[in-house]
Amino acid sequence: MSTSEESREPAAGAHREASVSRPGPSAPPRSCAVDGPAADLRGMTPMSPVGRLAATVDRLSREVRAAQAEAEGRALIELAKGILVARLGCGPAQAARQLAELAEQSQVTPLEFAVDVINQAARDRVSEVTDAFLAATAAVRNADTADGPDGPDGGEAGAGSAAVRLRAAESGALAAGDTQSVADALLEQALRPLGAVAVAIWAAGYDGSLTLAGSAGFSTAEASRWRYVPPDVTTVARCGLTERAGQWITSLAETGLPSVGRHQYPDGGRVAVPAGTGGRIHGVLEIAWPAPLAPQPPQVVRQVEALAELCAHTLESYVPSQAAGQEPRVVPDAVELMDLADGLYDPALVLVPHLDADGHLADFRIQHVNKSFLDPAGRPRAVVGGALLLEAYPMAAGESELFQNVERVYATGEPFRARRLNLTALVDQVPLSAVADISVSRHGNAVLLIWRIEDETARLASLLQHAQRLGRIGGFEENLLTGEITWNGQLFDLYGRPQSSTPVPLERLAAHAHPDDAVAIGRFLRTLLHHRRSASAAFRLQRPDGVTRHVRVVAEPVLDTDDRLLVVRGAYQDISAQHWTEVALAATRDQLAHTEQQAIERARLTLQLQHAIMPPAQTPLKVPDLQVAVRYRPAETEQLVGGDWYDAVMLPNGLVLLCVGDVAGHGIEAATSMVVLRNALRGLAVTGAGPGQLLSWLNIVVHHLTGGVTATAVCGLYDPARRTLRWARAGHLPPVLVRDAQAGPLPLVKGMLLGAVAEASYEEAEVQLAAEDTLLMYTDGLIERRDRSVEESLAQLLSTARPAPSTLDQHLDRLLTYSRSDTDDDTCLVGIRVG
Amino acid sequence: MPIAQNPLSVEVTLEREEVALLKVAGYLDVDTATEFQHHLANQLHHGRRHFLLDLSEVPFMDSSGMNIILRVYQEARELPGSVHIISPTAAVRRVLDLTGVSITVPVSESVEEALSRIDAQPEGPQVPGA
Repeated sequence: MSTSEESREPAAGAHREASVSRPGPSAPPRSCAVDGPAADLRGMTPMSPVGRLAATVDRLSREVRAAQAEAEGRALIELAKGILVARLGCGPAQAARQLAELAEQSQVTPLEFAVDVINQAARDRVSEVTDAFLAATAAVRNADTADGPDGPDGGEAGAGSAAVRLRAAESGALAAGDTQSVADALLEQALRPLGAVAVAIWAAGYDGSLTLAGSAGFSTAEASRWRYVPPDVTTVARCGLTERAGQWITSLAETGLPSVGRHQYPDGGRVAVPAGTGGRIHGVLEIAWPAPLAPQPPQVVRQVEALAELCAHTLESYVPSQAAGQEPRVVPDAVELMDLADGLYDPALVLVPHLDADGHLADFRIQHVNKSFLDPAGRPRAVVGGALLLEAYPMAAGESELFQNVERVYATGEPFRARRLNLTALVDQVPLSAVADISVSRHGNAVLLIWRIEDETARLASLLQHAQRLGRIGGFEENLLTGEITWNGQLFDLYGRPQSSTPVPLERLAAHAHPDDAVAIGRFLRTLLHHRRSASAAFRLQRPDGVTRHVRVVAEPVLDTDDRLLVVRGAYQDISAQHWTEVALAATRDQLAHTEQQAIERARLTLQLQHAIMPPAQTPLKVPDLQVAVRYRPAETEQLVGGDWYDAVMLPNGLVLLCVGDVAGHGIEAATSMVVLRNALRGLAVTGAGPGQLLSWLNIVVHHLTGGVTATAVCGLYDPARRTLRWARAGHLPPVLVRDAQAGPLPLVKGMLLGAVAEASYEEAEVQLAAEDTLLMYTDGLIERRDRSVEESLAQLLSTARPAPSTLDQHLDRLLTYSRSDTDDDTCLVGIRVG
Repeated sequence: MPIAQNPLSVEVTLEREEVALLKVAGYLDVDTATEFQHHLANQLHHGRRHFLLDLSEVPFMDSSGMNIILRVYQEARELPGSVHIISPTAAVRRVLDLTGVSITVPVSESVEEALSRIDAQPEGPQVPGA
């Protein structure tokens, strides 16, 4: 926003005033519409400089009144402050103080003083141009200069100095709005003193053509022959247009360029200066000398440039006469252009010039981006629309010369087209280049910039494919309701399976992984399926061909509107190379962080001990008519790995010992005690004693362990022949029986936890099992929650597990996956299924 | 739960010279058990033999809390002395039953009930005039 305010700053405003207050038959309607006072001027003596002056005074006093009425002249004071800031090179606060002090010294109100300041600034702007006349004619002040095209009017003002008369003539010339008159005035009043004999004012067409808008000093016939120069015909004037800089030619003959009056003054010097305002070239001022022209001093060059700017003000509103048979100059509204842009299927931007405080073209504002617009840097359309071109695309000023091309098109009106232009966009300070076909054209005061990025969609798709191939990424999607699984080709390759084979469901992932990675995979599935959060896991994929690859799987859940888990999708990446790098790095880090390493080693040792005694995936126990499955999940925090244990073993008497226990505490001590208890129980069980007796003995064992260890356990002896389980518990959760769709815990028989007292007795119970019955023993890591009782947690767990899975193994996996425990604890699970 | 959110509060009063009443409020778990143990050790150090643990404001107790109770039970038994649990919440009561601790450590509904149990013990303190 701040930049658009700039265009309303005093200098620019005054500048517009100078160019607009030009009532006349050929003045564009825009002028009248924009500037109300100009219309009022018609009623006065429109051609009169006094009238113009009066109008200015009138306008300013009306502005003063309006501003007073509105905001106590705050706006004007702000304007004046702005001028002071620029003039004095001070800050706004200082300018405000300065204004107040000066007003006090002058004994006028600050508002009046502010108006004075603005007036001063406005006059200066006008003088800037007229100074050129004054300097140029200083030597010939005695000559008759009052015979301008508006001679009588000039005479009215003529009471004063030559400067005032010159200025009046200039005003008159401007007011005439007739380029021919301007040409006459320029030649007579400004150029003859410099030794020039003829002048031509060319208007540039939007297509690059040149039209002779006015001339003086050339014969009428010659001027008529040169009334129109088509595009692409190189003439002196055209050089001035394309080079966008003044062309100072010593002798026309040397250049070989054609131009108006070449036969008349073949060896004469020529000057062609682009006539532009605000970065836009409206035409060319061409001046002819009769003889070769020596290099001119800088002040003359400046004077000529000032004259060219004067011409530009006239040309700005120049409308070629219809009689010349040329198409009318079309000035489409920016809105029309935006509509046009929206109709294009290529990305298009509508640019409008952005002038700096001095009225020079500084940049282009991106007025509009169309619907097809895709930012090469990936920014949303709203961010790009409204920004300045160089702000949004700083690299446009770089090698691609895009900005320079836009500037040229805007200046000359010549369209610019280029194929396969290299565009560079900065994305987070990283230059990204794209090849694009570019088209730039000017329409009225706006520029349409179209680019077509080379086959964007196709290129992205192929890029993605290559990226997947290079990254060894395989994608998948799994519908949990229908069981439908989709794999991409890369994933089959990654798994080492033929494309025609059946994809592996996520739940069966562990079966294709190294047994030691089962825990990581279990955690991954639990996060993904139970917590319904994105999850990732690294594991060793064991392919059917015997090759082991390190693979990372990343997946996210997709919920339907009822918040049900609908689809899981994700990707596998082969990270084998990366893995070994990490291993090497880890080894280095280990050496550096020795102390920390020791702690980690301790935790790892505990885990290894656990694994050594209870492999996470144990060889199943072969008992006829009975499925036995066991699971051990260590705490996620390695330091919390502790004393959970299980056992399932066939005894010599044909009974199956089933046991789950938990030694209080964590770490290596708890794990050591666990080993003692587990081995003791195995040994004691061989005696053939019942579960209550076994626990009594085990209590003695625990009680005599050093360090006041306590433990809980549940112990059962299953008789395959009778399908009965005789069991006892020592402070442990009773087993759970799953029969048909029902699940519930067995009764809470009496039994003190192990080690608390020297001697304890344990109540026994017996349960008769039937075919398809499942019995579960577990440690509290599975269900422990602070906000509800164990029964509630258990009921929740058993009911949320989806319809009974076909195998006991899957059942246990699901229990681990969907467990709602909120404490990070070890978990042991032993299950048997009859039949 | 982080300690900051659920700090354990232990309020100690002396019912009699050798009888300490500890009113516990908050979760008794792995995070807070050590603090609880310090209070108990301090009372043991000052010669208390009987410990009344009011757990009416303990919504949750895990095995760590349980072990502290068992430890003070074992210590007190040596003195000889005793440990009494007073009006536990349902969840805590459940844990006490599950672990069988309630078989060994008596559970009372009030301080008075616990005190009368202490009095009934043969090796209980001699109360003058009783």
